[in-house]
Amino acid sequence: MIKIKNLNKTYDNFQALKDINLHIKKGEIVVLKGVSGSGKSTLLSLIASMSKPSSGSVEVNNILVSKLPDVHSCKYRNENIGYIFQSFNLLEQLSVADNIFAPLVISEAKNKQELLEIAMKKANIYHKKDEIVSNLSGGEKQRCAIARAIVLNPNIIIADEPTASLDKQNSLKFIEVLKEFKKEKRTVIISTHDSIFDNLDLVSRYINIQDGQIVD
Amino acid sequence: MSIFLSSNVIAFFFIELILFLFAIYSVVVSINIFKNWDFNSTSPSQYNLEKKSFLISTIIYFTIIIKSFMFIFFASTLDSLASIVPGAMCAAGIINANSYGNILLFLKIFIIFIFGIWIVLNKFDLKSTTYLYIKKKFLLYIIVFVLLCVEIVLEYLYFSNISTKQPVLCCSVVFGQSSASNGLPFNLSINMIVAIFYILYSLIIISNYTKNDKISLLSSMIFLFVAYYSVTYFFGTYIYELPTHKCPFCMLQKEYHYIGYFVWISLFFGVFFGILSSILKLLTKRDFVFIYKYTIIFTSIFVFICTYYVLAYYIKNGVFL
Repeated sequence: MIKIKNLNKTYDNFQALKDINLHIKKGEIVVLKGVSGSGKSTLLSLIASMSKPSSGSVEVNNILVSKLPDVHSCKYRNENIGYIFQSFNLLEQLSVADNIFAPLVISEAKNKQELLEIAMKKANIYHKKDEIVSNLSGGEKQRCAIARAIVLNPNIIIADEPTASLDKQNSLKFIEVLKEFKKEKRTVIISTHDSIFDNLDLVSRYINIQDGQIVD
Repeated sequence: MSIFLSSNVIAFFFIELILFLFAIYSVVVSINIFKNWDFNSTSPSQYNLEKKSFLISTIIYFTIIIKSFMFIFFASTLDSLASIVPGAMCAAGIINANSYGNILLFLKIFIIFIFGIWIVLNKFDLKSTTYLYIKKKFLLYIIVFVLLCVEIVLEYLYFSNISTKQPVLCCSVVFGQSSASNGLPFNLSINMIVAIFYILYSLIIISNYTKNDKISLLSSMIFLFVAYYSVTYFFGTYIYELPTHKCPFCMLQKEYHYIGYFVWISLFFGVFFGILSSILKLLTKRDFVFIYKYTIIFTSIFVFICTYYVLAYYIKNGVFL
């Protein structure tokens, strides 16, 4: 489903990723482990086609996403990827519902209101739908971010340090969300250095990244 | 007084030079893309070209849009110079002030035509996920750049050779009929040229309605010339409401409510779309059905404006000119 071949990414003189080769099958939950600056987030942004590699290729569902022109990358992300950011990247002055509706604005889906309600209910944030995001707690913000990520029912969920801003209780709730994703057979890629993800049965694979390289 | 002291000419050259700098940068990258493009490669240089291609397409697009407005500004600059060049009553006298004027005018129109094709090609290229027409569009731009170089040299030669002391001919002399000829090609009569005008219009409508791109191309190209003469020698006289006033430029002035801009722009777009379907078919091997609709719309607007002035005059005065 996701095929990464000889992937390199260089920022000016700094090589963030070095010759990455990786295959992720449909329905797998993969955890990328590594310290800050090891290249985890760079790899996730390349899979999501948020940036272009310096060389090599990323293929998702037989689409060579690393070669997509920028205008098409947006459509690809909108249709295929649900992205949960470390700091959630929500629009603080808008309501929960408006934030979750954001991906639907450019979507061609017909039943937008229905999709919005389903996502809010799944992420257990429906009761806060009219609340302004800046008034939410950390855990609620994350549920809002999860709802936004799944609103278009993407087959790939990418979570970049999803528990970094959460306390232990809310982090454990995120593990419950992962179980739901597993049941729904979504492919999930998580980057983290949080030990809460260690030795989880639902995780298909752990991949260690060090200095931009995959290490055994 | 030098013509370069006119604020319009200074502004015109200033903007043209900035656009030319954009064009130089674009052509350097365009040549690089044209020579080294290999979509199947995942090398750093190919990714670099992919990144740059979007930037350069945007710069070229921006240049084209500004250049299109600059053509209108060029026409209005010529018109404004009529007040400082002795003998000139409108842009017709100014454009004929030296031998470079008409060549420059036709070159500008030709460049805008090719720019139009580039814009459409760029649109379809950006729509595709595999940069389907990227080499063709950058090759086309490289060709246009050569024309842009000629254009900027001609602009300098043209403006620097307009004398503010030597009188030029006014439009009634430039387009007025001599004793030997009525000014129309092949010595056609006015009635004949107007008849051909409406016959060609009908042919354009039928060919575009039936989606026949070859007939549309041919009829649109002939229509461009026939329409020019028809407007200058027949429809224009109804716009000016004076049978002896034959000029394609005076109608750009305020006293005629700037109707000339609408007349010539609608003709330009009508003919442009009329020939576009064939050219695109040649470049892309695809049929673009929506173009036929635009040909019909713009050509009809042009013919409507022309016909309106004749009918309005007849209804008002009960006679034709």
